[in-house]
Amino acid sequence: MEATAAKLIGAGLAMIGAIGAGLGIGVLAGGAVQGIARNPDAAGTIQTNMILGIAFAEAVAIYCLVVALLLIFAV
Amino acid sequence: MTAHKNHEQTQKSGGFRPGCLGVLVMIALTIFLPRVVPVLQPHVALPADRILDDPLFTIPGLPGDQGAVYLTNTLVTWAIAVFIVLLMGFLVGRRVKQAMARDEYVLTGFTDVFVSFVEVLYNLTESTAGKWTRVIFPYFVTITTLVLVINWMELLPGIDTIGVLTPSHKPGYGYVVKDLGPVAILWEEAEGKGEKGEALVPGGRYGLAAVEEGEPTYEFRPFFRVASTDLNFTLALALVSVIMTQIVGLRALGAHYMEKFFNFRALLRGPMGLLDFAVGLLELISEFSKILSFSFRLFGNIFAGSVLLFVMGALMPPILFGFYGLELFVGLIQAFVFGMLTMVFMAQATQHH
Repeated sequence: MEATAAKLIGAGLAMIGAIGAGLGIGVLAGGAVQGIARNPDAAGTIQTNMILGIAFAEAVAIYCLVVALLLIFAV
Repeated sequence: MTAHKNHEQTQKSGGFRPGCLGVLVMIALTIFLPRVVPVLQPHVALPADRILDDPLFTIPGLPGDQGAVYLTNTLVTWAIAVFIVLLMGFLVGRRVKQAMARDEYVLTGFTDVFVSFVEVLYNLTESTAGKWTRVIFPYFVTITTLVLVINWMELLPGIDTIGVLTPSHKPGYGYVVKDLGPVAILWEEAEGKGEKGEALVPGGRYGLAAVEEGEPTYEFRPFFRVASTDLNFTLALALVSVIMTQIVGLRALGAHYMEKFFNFRALLRGPMGLLDFAVGLLELISEFSKILSFSFRLFGNIFAGSVLLFVMGALMPPILFGFYGLELFVGLIQAFVFGMLTMVFMAQATQHH
């Protein structure tokens, strides 16, 4: 029983890393919106780059998620 | 022609639309069906389940069981998705050729949607890759379409829910089933007796049930499971993407491409060149980390999505529709991001520093 508890606590702790990705995506989207507000013509390019950047930032959160899922379902 | 126009007008002026009715019926079913049939959370497992117990074939020369290739449920779904993509490409290509032969330049229906999709991707590639568009574009569109079809298969009924029941290895664990003649449905999840002999949560409808002595329990193995919830598929796709990036780079720059990683010329420039050499080695490491991030990003997103749908389906079936919308969006974004990153990395590999 203790092992299961430790696994679940570990999975919860692993997800703390999502904070960084959340902050990163917030900064990214904020910057993109400011850019679009200043230069609406560049909206297309900014959007594409923003999605790329979000994908990179999100990947970090996904690593945490994979670690958490592995802890819950695989170990 | 006139009949076609009339049909279009009746559709535009509102009135009866079969599609809307279908969606409404499905929403109603998600609300009322769980009152009749218990919705269980499927047992989530990371590795794919084997449909056949015997291996399909064995790769010779590998020690032990490592060479055995099994027919897994993700492999089945992958094959179906590849078939769908090939069929789509073939049919749309034929329709476009027919239309061109008849000098018609207005496409209709699915052909129009598919051609517009490809055109958007082509323009994006052209604005990034320039003269290497024709080399890079096929990888971009193939990866995006295949991953999109595979990701959206997650939302089809029958995926993860139709399968084979086998008697449980551990007596008292697994699912209790209800026999309905030719088919059986999972009725209760059983956790048997607790470790110290006491029963766990008894008789909970969505929870775990204490199984009576001698009641047969079964394990459930679905026939279909989305291929991107199998790390093997995403890893294979990532390897294809990263290896082809190197090949496109070598094709574009020849031996100069390797200078990006092993910058021996910078070493001749003295101590500051040493730094440039180290940066080159870091580039090499980042190529390997691309494999990791490509495969984990797709796998993590789609696996987490399917777990989310399982949990929400068991907890709150009526609001499942919102999560379907979310997964529709996530599947599209992840397919686009996988293809787009491949395209951008390939375009970068063709450029001089």
